[in-house]
Amino acid sequence: MESRERVMTALMRGQPDRVPWIENDIEEFLQISLMDGRKDYTPGELCRKLGMDAFGYHFPSGGEGTHTQALQTKDSIKDAFYFPKKVTFDFVPPWIAEMGVVPETGRTFIKKPLLTSRDSLKLFDEFLPDPDHPARYELVAKWIDKYREGFAIFPRIRLGSASMFESMGLETFSYLMYDDPDLVKEIHRRFAEWSARVVEHLNELDFDFYWVNDDHADTKNSWVNMEMYEEFLKPYQMIVAKALKKPWIFHSDGNLFPILEGLLTLGMDAIHPIQPSAMDINRVKAEYGDRVCIVGNIDLNYTLTLGTPQEVEAEVRDRLEKIGKGGGYMISSANSLTDYCKLENVWAMAETIKKYGKY
Amino acid sequence: MGSELERIKDAVVAGKRDQVVAIVQEALNGGLSATRIMTESLIPAMNVVGEKYSTGEFFLPQMMIAARAMDEALPILRPHLAQGNYKKKAKAVVGTVQGDFHDIGKNIVKMMMEGAGYEVIDLGVDVTADAFIKTIRNESPKFVLLSALITLTMDSMKKIVEAIDHAGLRGKVLIGVGGAPVTQKFANEIGADFYADDAHGCVSNCNRLTA
Repeated sequence: MESRERVMTALMRGQPDRVPWIENDIEEFLQISLMDGRKDYTPGELCRKLGMDAFGYHFPSGGEGTHTQALQTKDSIKDAFYFPKKVTFDFVPPWIAEMGVVPETGRTFIKKPLLTSRDSLKLFDEFLPDPDHPARYELVAKWIDKYREGFAIFPRIRLGSASMFESMGLETFSYLMYDDPDLVKEIHRRFAEWSARVVEHLNELDFDFYWVNDDHADTKNSWVNMEMYEEFLKPYQMIVAKALKKPWIFHSDGNLFPILEGLLTLGMDAIHPIQPSAMDINRVKAEYGDRVCIVGNIDLNYTLTLGTPQEVEAEVRDRLEKIGKGGGYMISSANSLTDYCKLENVWAMAETIKKYGKY
Repeated sequence: MGSELERIKDAVVAGKRDQVVAIVQEALNGGLSATRIMTESLIPAMNVVGEKYSTGEFFLPQMMIAARAMDEALPILRPHLAQGNYKKKAKAVVGTVQGDFHDIGKNIVKMMMEGAGYEVIDLGVDVTADAFIKTIRNESPKFVLLSALITLTMDSMKKIVEAIDHAGLRGKVLIGVGGAPVTQKFANEIGADFYADDAHGCVSNCNRLTA
């Protein structure tokens, strides 16, 4: 079975020839280490070396530029849309926020959210690039043609909820839910409509599925309860969900149990990353495994980052055997493969999947 | 009087800031002491909120508006508290450790600590060992509360604890640690004084160590 078929079979909750391995992201420093210092490899070469079945995100061979657009803001994202210098598969709206940069690593972070009042709505025009501008779509289409091989390919997008949380800040979001609920809804609607427009274009490209990244929770709990979810999030998330014409994986860190029933009504095909410190994957499998494919759960807090290869093998083997049983599971880290994962642990994960992943 | 204290408490738990401000003013005008309002209404209210958050009955927005309701009552009470015998429980310094820019957990801890009657100095995110040490020297807090969200920055937590040791300040402060990747085992390994798995647990630990 080719990788693409393997992934699509699991996404539809079927049982392929082996448990597929996919990752939401692999940070470029780690990619280069895994490729023995090379920077000129194709996505397929990296996938083959690891035994991985899908790619999206970004690669050093995609050109120079910020590694990921996930944390980009006003000027950088407009540049990336209109004059793309680097191929990435990220089609997310920018944070409407004042950003900071860590000089040593170049990582960006939100210093100050800017969507805090009705007056700040004007910032949408200033920050959001024209979603119909063809430059990025054309560039990515060429890359897909060139490098697709037999792999499953995905872009990363948002429903707009994370954009709202991060651009408002959770404190302002919480206050305005009570003080000016219509403003919160308007902010979510605007992000969602931008994403839906982007999706219209992505639907035309040769992608196999979408990876939809919107954090809604911390390890303790989701940030809203079901009632709040139904009123403030779901109607706007549905704008994007309805636009998606291909299967999709929903990603949110943290404990989603309080709103999971609501989230599933959006119609996602899979859920990721089932963070072990926040959600019991056995419960997810037992209660939701007949409704949604499960992706993830290899711990990033300890196992991949601080653990030993033996601990990685034990955890990966456990998930392959228990959660992989009967299909509908794709193995993955419990977020992404970050620069601070131990190299030997990533190889241990790869080897264990090769050894024990077959059905 | 008892019912007025209860009404203030209920209004804080419900996050109704206008009601809280009105009833607090009414209670003060009626002769109720600011210290009693603080210790018998506002702090117990935030304790209820913390428990409800800890058990999953309350979610973030409910906790945020409750804390805001309490905050809005404080300017009315403050002049009276200064004249009376009310004292804050202790001083705590909070911060997300160097290299880590996540502030949600740290902000929740700050909010719950203030709600519990502590004076909190918030050093923000990406806080270096030097900044913690300088603040400990200048402010003499009882607690230093360190937050980290990613595994990578747990090492910063370790280094900050070591730096506090080396600066000879260890006997002067109690160090609490928390955040998604942090565990009791890790807290023991780096020599922190306590670990809590959420903000309510942090407040409980501080209360225990202050009593």
